[in-house]
Amino acid sequence: MSTTTPPPDSTSDSTRTEPSHQAMEQAAEWYALLRSGEATDDDHARWQSWLEHNADHHLAWQYVETISRSFEPIHATPDPRQTADGLWAANTRVIQRRRILTGIIALAGTGLFGWATWRHTPLPGIVLAQIADHRTATGELREVILSDGTHVWFNTATALNEAYRTNLRRLCLITGEILIDTATDPQRPFIVDTPQGQLRALGTRFTVRLEGDKTFLGVYQGSVEITSAAGASSLIQAGQQTHFTTDILAAVEPADMAREAWSRGVLVAWDMSLGDVVKELRRYRNGYLGIAPEVANLRVFGSFPLRDTDNTLNMLASALPIHIQRTLPWWVSIEARTGTDSDR
Amino acid sequence: MCSTDPQKGIAPAADSAMQQIHFLYSDHHDWLYSWLRHRLGNAADAADLAHDAFLRLIIKPAPHGFASFGEARAYLRTMAQGMCINLWHRREIEQAWLDTLAAWPETYAPSPERQAMVLEALHEIGTMLLDLPPKAARAFLMAAGCQMTDKEVAEVLGVSSRIVRKYVAQAMLRCMQLQARQTVVDSLDPDMT
Repeated sequence: MSTTTPPPDSTSDSTRTEPSHQAMEQAAEWYALLRSGEATDDDHARWQSWLEHNADHHLAWQYVETISRSFEPIHATPDPRQTADGLWAANTRVIQRRRILTGIIALAGTGLFGWATWRHTPLPGIVLAQIADHRTATGELREVILSDGTHVWFNTATALNEAYRTNLRRLCLITGEILIDTATDPQRPFIVDTPQGQLRALGTRFTVRLEGDKTFLGVYQGSVEITSAAGASSLIQAGQQTHFTTDILAAVEPADMAREAWSRGVLVAWDMSLGDVVKELRRYRNGYLGIAPEVANLRVFGSFPLRDTDNTLNMLASALPIHIQRTLPWWVSIEARTGTDSDR
Repeated sequence: MCSTDPQKGIAPAADSAMQQIHFLYSDHHDWLYSWLRHRLGNAADAADLAHDAFLRLIIKPAPHGFASFGEARAYLRTMAQGMCINLWHRREIEQAWLDTLAAWPETYAPSPERQAMVLEALHEIGTMLLDLPPKAARAFLMAAGCQMTDKEVAEVLGVSSRIVRKYVAQAMLRCMQLQARQTVVDSLDPDMT
């Protein structure tokens, strides 16, 4: 009937990928009301206008739908109540054993970690990354010298396999980003395989980064030949960058030389939007890093440490009219600075 | 296809990480194995989990390494606790599902694939619920899983409808927060099929 849902706020942004905390709170309350068996037509109409109010609300509602859909397998059984009771009894027994085992009412042990780990295991990319020859954790940067003298810099959350043979030097990038400075070896060609295709280095320094279903390539010295999985090929020269999928090679553009700075642990921002800076920083952090749409277009100039992103956030806060809200260690959001800074 | 051979001394940085795992293994493996065996009462499970624990350390080393023997042991103990609970949880859920299944008429005979899917889904839901306050978790399970109204849930739990509504909203919000966090993690680790 009645609900405590606050009036819609005025934020709206289509580029945002996580809903704001406020939108999630509202969406959860709408969900509780709409499925309660007590929602009126009027409630439905008000929910509809809440939903259409902005993209943030839409996104939050998508989360609600995903979560409620995950319960469908229970509902699809002949007697959902029986299935649910069985699951509940199993959970209760586990909670009791957990108490005995840990001696405390543990939230930490299996807590978020357990959930996150389970969600991850079925992903083939992750499984492959786990058994890779070289890997870096989120936020870790590392330099490695391979047996032939080739330097490889590993960016955050990267996994790579090394398959050197007598007649071929071959690396397989499974996830993340590498910068390579190849050593000369006329006898053995140097290639990098990605899920989207193959890169053949012709005496060079270049960076390879996996982004979803794309491989990004930037060449800083020499040249690199791309052959996509579908067979399309192209030669990328020093000072150029491009990206490709299994079947499409994108247009070549001038290389962004500042990008290379990550190999020294530095993010160089030259007239970058704060939204883009945050997108970059997320790669180096675990947990949630959100940004309010009204500050996403602020321009950022400067060099920032990638190995200490908390410090980077503080530096940004001292240079820009923003406020870093640290709700939980892993829940950080960037908001506009207000005069009386004490909001959520 | 890929090797985690610690003898592969090509990369100095990776090599020292492997060496650390080596030391950890020789210092703690036997202790961990007997700790697990004592809790699980089963040698094969204990051996599996001990192996998994070291594999996890290779995959995701402790953020700042270990300052001391005691610290490493405490870390391994916490990890082993989590793994025991996860194993028990999977088995409890499987047993509960088999019991439920046995109570239904034989006309309901899902394929093995379907059953595996249902089990995974139940484990996922169960894991999510483990971290919620128990009453909110139970209310949420009945509301979302059985599509029961507030009134029906209130009757089972012996609380008011208003409280049920609050529990459901609270549980949903917690799940959304986990989901948001997961989305961030997933975007860092794109799925390379």
